[in-house]
Amino acid sequence: MNQAVEGKAYPPVRYEVTTEAVRAFAAAVGEDPDRVPPTFLTVPEMTALAQVVADPDLGIDFSRVVHGEQAYEWRRPVLPGDVLSAAPRIERIRSRGGHAFLTVETEIRDRAGEVVALARCTLIERGTG
Amino acid sequence: MSLRFEDLAEGQEVPPLARTLGREDLVRYAEASGDRNPLHLDDEAARRAGFPGVIAHGMLTMGHLATCLTRWAGGAERLERLAAPFRAPVLPGDTIVAGGRVRSLDPAGRRAVLEVWVTVQRAGGAEHAIRRGEAVLRL
Repeated sequence: MNQAVEGKAYPPVRYEVTTEAVRAFAAAVGEDPDRVPPTFLTVPEMTALAQVVADPDLGIDFSRVVHGEQAYEWRRPVLPGDVLSAAPRIERIRSRGGHAFLTVETEIRDRAGEVVALARCTLIERGTG
Repeated sequence: MSLRFEDLAEGQEVPPLARTLGREDLVRYAEASGDRNPLHLDDEAARRAGFPGVIAHGMLTMGHLATCLTRWAGGAERLERLAAPFRAPVLPGDTIVAGGRVRSLDPAGRRAVLEVWVTVQRAGGAEHAIRRGEAVLRL
């Protein structure tokens, strides 16, 4: 991975929250079907992260990637009908023990521009040694 | 019935929530989340990456932890923050058990800070899938 892309920001990705998507996700994580699971935000977050991991400037080998750590800070619950935008930014890139660690913070806002949540994802690109 | 801030004490444990994950649960999570990384669906791809076979999405384990916490707290809107370091892979057939303990209480903000975790129970022992995670509840 190329450490020089630290701080790079990517365009926001639009995501519309539907009842169907929420129900499917709730069933998958064992939550009641009429509740929006807090970690549902991973869906818009991962959609936005797709452009980061595909960025040739970053140069990550996704076949060696595992999820190292994940954090969310919620400012308000997500609701069906929300139209969200998820904007990722590379916070840091580090090497340790032959592995590379990529941390991306994604700001998730609603249609009014209010912050709904902050997501912080650390991916580990495992060494080949 | 919803949890009240007044009912909490430092050191108090969250009622643990167990779930045994099958291969079909990984497929269902992949479909629902859109994360179709072959690591979770294709044994051959998972073995090439150094695992014994497919592994569960870290976010499926974290989602289970969030379900445990919001059930106890009485609603998703009560969870303000959740941080989960993923420590060990979860394999199909494993039983994951989410839990936590109140570390500190802030009466002015009506917030509780918890240490949270998910253990993996399988033949031959137990380990942590999520260890030293942190949750903040606002009640």
